[in-house]
Amino acid sequence: MPLIRKPPSGSLVPPPAPFDAAALSDGSSDVRWAAVRVAASRPDAVALLGGALARERDPRVREAIFSGLARIATEESAGIIVPYLRSEDASLRTGALDALHVMPAATAAYLPALVTDKDPDVRLLSCELARAQPAATANRLLCAVLDTDPEKNVCAAALDVLAETGGPEILASLNRCAQRFQDDPFLAFSIDVVRQQIGTQPASARE
Amino acid sequence: MAEGSKRVLIVDDAGLVRRFHRDALGQGGFDVAEALNGVEAMEKVLAEPFDLLVVDVNMPQMDGISFLKALRRQEGPTGAVPVLIVSTEAGPQDVEAARAVGANFYLVKPVRPEVLVEHAALMCGGVR
Repeated sequence: MPLIRKPPSGSLVPPPAPFDAAALSDGSSDVRWAAVRVAASRPDAVALLGGALARERDPRVREAIFSGLARIATEESAGIIVPYLRSEDASLRTGALDALHVMPAATAAYLPALVTDKDPDVRLLSCELARAQPAATANRLLCAVLDTDPEKNVCAAALDVLAETGGPEILASLNRCAQRFQDDPFLAFSIDVVRQQIGTQPASARE
Repeated sequence: MAEGSKRVLIVDDAGLVRRFHRDALGQGGFDVAEALNGVEAMEKVLAEPFDLLVVDVNMPQMDGISFLKALRRQEGPTGAVPVLIVSTEAGPQDVEAARAVGANFYLVKPVRPEVLVEHAALMCGGVR
């Protein structure tokens, strides 16, 4: 799956192109793909793209829909994508994750609920989404994960991001997590690595 | 690394996981390379031979299942290289999805280093 590029910022927005909404669900996959590309230039087409995503089975068209929703980059378009983090289909989860990752401002409102979701798989993927947030936001969300989440793998996902974003302010949470999972060699290893990185990294590298 | 060591590619987007698995397999006598996702892994397996791939499922750009599908479409030794999935996804449907696309074995994270080395050795024919 190709990388979804971040939408350009500060560029002039062209007038919405006319498009045939029926083409999002009718015709060949090439026709649907082309319709998605046009719809992606229209923020008012979010609901139509959401409906198309729910029906679509062609991976290339799905990918175009995720890219289109990411390009629109509103809370509404993020909200269409969020439920796909729960999909049983790994390619749908990946599509959702990649799309949400390139629209951090639109995703931010959903993160507090996602990192405390009842499904540990969703919490785990949400830790990765925090990587795209400002460091202070990511650290606050993920320290809460280290302090409270009962799943080792979710804490491990949080540590992987904190290795990049964390500073001295996360040390207390690292210590508490180490205490909670004393018997796990991977978490012990990861916490040591993050502690070392915090000790050796200049503060400017984490901002 | 000993001469003639078995060559293992770790495919995982999590840097700490790659580092942990690399340390474990390296200390176990394997020659280890790394890829961050399925796209990068495909480039590496097409460029050089590996004796074993240790592959995560949830990764950006190309997930482990999509990678495995693409891998098994390759002809010759590249398409037949053993694959050990190491994933947080622990449901029977996840194991079945991986098996259906050609995974040889499935471990659920977090994996103890000795377990990873033991499975890697077995899947490389009992030789490191």
